[in-house]
Amino acid sequence: MTGPDAATATPPAGTRVPQADPRPHGLGASVPPLDALAKAQGTFPYAADLWAEGLLWAAVLRSPHPHARILRIDTAPAVALPGVHSVVTAEDVPGEALQGRRVHDRPVFASELVRHHGEPIAAVAADHPDTARLAAAAIVVEYEVLEPVTDPEQAFNAPPLHPDGNLIRHIPLCFGDPDIIGDVIVEGLYRVGRQDPAPIGAEAGLAVPRPDGGVELYVASTDPHTDRDLAAACFGLEQERVRVVVTGVPGAMGDREDAGMQIPLGLLALRTGHPVKLVATREESFLGHVHRHPTLLRYRHHADTEGRLVKVEAQILLDAGAYADTSAEALAAAVAFACGPYVVSHAFVEGWAVRTNNPPSGHVRGEGAMQVCAAYEGQMDKLAAKLGMDPVELRMRNVMATGDLMPTSQSVTCPAPVGELLQAVREAPLPPLPVDDTEAAWLLPGGPDGAGDPAAVRRGVGYGVGMVHMLGIEGADEVSTATVRISNGSATVICAAVETGQGFSTLARQIVQEVLGVDEVHVAPVDTDQPPAGASARGRHTWVSGGAVERAAKMVRTQLLQPLAARFGMSVELLSIADGKITSYDGVLSTTVAEALEGKELWATAQCRPHPTEPLDEFGQGDAFVGLAFAAMRAVVDVDIEMGTIRVVEVTVAQDVGRVLNPRRLAARIEAGVTQGVGMALMEDLRTSHGLVQKPGFTGYALPTALDAPDVVIAKLVEERDVVASFGAKAAGAVPVVVAPAAVASAVRSATGRPINRLPIRPQNAIVAQPAPPPPHG
Amino acid sequence: MEQVVVTPASLDEAVAALSARPEAVPVAGGTDLMAAVNSGHLRPAGLVGLGRINELRGWQYQDGHALLGAGLTHARMGRPDFAALIPALAAAARTAGPPQIRNAGTLGGNIVTAAPTGDSLPVLAALEATVVLAGPDGASREVPVSHLLTGLDPLRTGELVAFVRVPLLHAPQTFLKATGRSGPARAIASVAVVLDPARRAVRCAVGAVAPVPLRPLEAENWVASCIDWDGKRRIAPEACEAFGDYVAVACVPAPEPEESAPPAGVVQLRRTVSVLARRALGRALA
Repeated sequence: MTGPDAATATPPAGTRVPQADPRPHGLGASVPPLDALAKAQGTFPYAADLWAEGLLWAAVLRSPHPHARILRIDTAPAVALPGVHSVVTAEDVPGEALQGRRVHDRPVFASELVRHHGEPIAAVAADHPDTARLAAAAIVVEYEVLEPVTDPEQAFNAPPLHPDGNLIRHIPLCFGDPDIIGDVIVEGLYRVGRQDPAPIGAEAGLAVPRPDGGVELYVASTDPHTDRDLAAACFGLEQERVRVVVTGVPGAMGDREDAGMQIPLGLLALRTGHPVKLVATREESFLGHVHRHPTLLRYRHHADTEGRLVKVEAQILLDAGAYADTSAEALAAAVAFACGPYVVSHAFVEGWAVRTNNPPSGHVRGEGAMQVCAAYEGQMDKLAAKLGMDPVELRMRNVMATGDLMPTSQSVTCPAPVGELLQAVREAPLPPLPVDDTEAAWLLPGGPDGAGDPAAVRRGVGYGVGMVHMLGIEGADEVSTATVRISNGSATVICAAVETGQGFSTLARQIVQEVLGVDEVHVAPVDTDQPPAGASARGRHTWVSGGAVERAAKMVRTQLLQPLAARFGMSVELLSIADGKITSYDGVLSTTVAEALEGKELWATAQCRPHPTEPLDEFGQGDAFVGLAFAAMRAVVDVDIEMGTIRVVEVTVAQDVGRVLNPRRLAARIEAGVTQGVGMALMEDLRTSHGLVQKPGFTGYALPTALDAPDVVIAKLVEERDVVASFGAKAAGAVPVVVAPAAVASAVRSATGRPINRLPIRPQNAIVAQPAPPPPHG
Repeated sequence: MEQVVVTPASLDEAVAALSARPEAVPVAGGTDLMAAVNSGHLRPAGLVGLGRINELRGWQYQDGHALLGAGLTHARMGRPDFAALIPALAAAARTAGPPQIRNAGTLGGNIVTAAPTGDSLPVLAALEATVVLAGPDGASREVPVSHLLTGLDPLRTGELVAFVRVPLLHAPQTFLKATGRSGPARAIASVAVVLDPARRAVRCAVGAVAPVPLRPLEAENWVASCIDWDGKRRIAPEACEAFGDYVAVACVPAPEPEESAPPAGVVQLRRTVSVLARRALGRALA
């Protein structure tokens, strides 16, 4: 997680956050997270802070080559070092040799072939972290270095990098009439770079052997049950003998934690009989975990002279890296959303996800949807310029609404207030120009006391709209189980949904406060002895786990009120609970929750499983998505047109949220998403050279700082409830990430008049040759 | 091996401690050194901590020069009183990383680390500063900062960077740097420009484009002749612009062969340096 997404981050200056009520309680209130203070003060324990008596330290040996054949591994020099307890390689994996989130195609340790820079080859446990690192470095590996495949366009014809072949998935979406041609045609080629999730805390974990021959893994997993299943299979153990205990999660942008670290950690604990701890360095973290798919997009938009879209043709190529991970899902999202939240009657989108020897790609929020948003919004700007139309007006003529068909032939059944969102950001007041507001210090592109020159600064205003799916797609079984207990006027929630900073534990407390009327609600820590709740990603816990908590709480409520209702001869519906008191509709009955309990404990467990989806067929058709969320943004940027430096002054957001469950947290989620999107637009790109990761660290990989984060103004939150979603609410975290880069690129286009078709935007693409054009407005 | 950390309270003690254990590494702010230690890249046999040496943390005046202690932090150099003395060094110090780094990192550390992106280095090069090195048995010698950085006259065993002698020019100076974001970041390129009205000279140095700061001497001499030194020190905008290009071409060489067009990276870096140099000179003469 980048800093701005931390649960406790204070909003950037200028953000308009709804006023907090003095004693927030229940749904719709700005209930603060319980761990906020500990996180702000640095006392909150994360996995890297764990300790066990007699623990050993692990280190992982990673490949220095992106593509090589392993001829020989000699661990003897490492074993011979004093203090080294165990060295494990592929030979020492007792169970399954392959693991992977969706497809089991990734070796725990590379044994014959190395397919990406940083792939694990061996792991060491020693009595000191330095000894472990030295021992890992002492392992002799002989490689036959092979030519890496680094250009995804070359992957089609390259020799297979993997027994499964280089093509992970191909979707040729066909919708409508291929022969139709519009009056106006615009074409574009777009590139999106490799964003790293860059969690504020790198991967870390502690593995503790159990007396029954099993092992417990204390890790910051966001999907503990999947991680447990993978680990157990590789250990050759029953799932019951492997327990994943979720520790504090220091930031998660998608699927967090690197199985290439957790599984070696558990293996070492099993072999040595000691607890084993590993704390990854930032460099290892960059090499080990999954990144956003670098994408190449080629588009052709056909429109009529009125600006109505006629046909969209697109080719989308995702660089999946060496292993499949969730690339098939990312590709489905990219292809399905390739036309954006616009009505298009004819669409022909061909998408491929291919293997290369580049760093691995996987789920980072907004996967697939973000890359295509940057491209289709670039096309809309291009089309507006060609037609001589206002870019907002052009978008307004094409926006999708409830009932329209997506190019996958799925009907949009949820609220889709795209036009209303766009209207809201268009009508929001623009920030003052510095010339009009001489009192305020003008932060120029280039930073305070920097090289920025007011005479060379041009302001640009750009727009973007976009969409993203919620929950797993294409038939994924989305289910969560939650248990609620009440005793003595306090309640407990047990649910394996991981709090990643997204606010699930706060939401669970709010739900129980609302339903059972008690203030004090505890959310139990998560481990895999609890029933599965699925991954903390794609907004699923608000919907699925939140829904399960609500059902369980309602079942407890019925159990609590049933005896009272029976005694007074009225139905349960006529009783209400608030502030720990139970009252009847006529006020005759009034008692407290504690009295009604009569010393009993009430428990209930419930599940939530949204309606099923179906896989896309051979032509990319099918009802693949459970829910969709939309947002519109207006970005205001200042560009130093001589240097090409860019500062995003303000981003105005209008978002389709279904229902506001916690205003302050919602604002924080939007700010965090916008900031991550600004990072994608301006600076975040993990560079590689011949497959080797360049500068894997925060000096080389620039993230937005407080000075780079724009003022985020929430112009409108459209609360049109989604009837099928729990509480009618839509997850809010992903859609700002999807739209913000497109809006920023659009604003830079408007400031410079240059075609911005590459993210992140490089300075040379934002430089305007003299003479400079007049500013677009003001 | 036994690890020893000593924290002397005076420069003499520090030099003596270093003579006693020549394998020990002096550490001031530790912003570069300790990062290398923590990541396991460096395992010094001993450390000589310079943080307690008060005589290195301030500055004194000596015949038209300021003798700056090597232990001056970036935060201290960024303050207005220092900025009135040596504006370009203050400007460089203010951009040298986030507050935590500026509070710890020192002038001497910047010189010894000699990172290509060290922000104070182009300023020191433009000022033609000299470094006072304290050696064993009270020996002391002065080396031009460029000789130290290029390795022409490197630090010898047992020597410490004690002071930096900088001329007080009583004229505008500027330091500008190009970075990849608005927040603190390493320089893509940086330019320092100092005016020396007494000698009717302009001195300029470009940082971050090469392992050491580069001086475009011909461009300096040429532009000095374009300035109306007796009047309001004005310069024609065209001359200012030409100066930028002159500096850029001098400091960012194109790879061989010369006939073909330079690669895109060189063109972009030249453009950046050119704009920085033009703006830096323009602001110095404004």
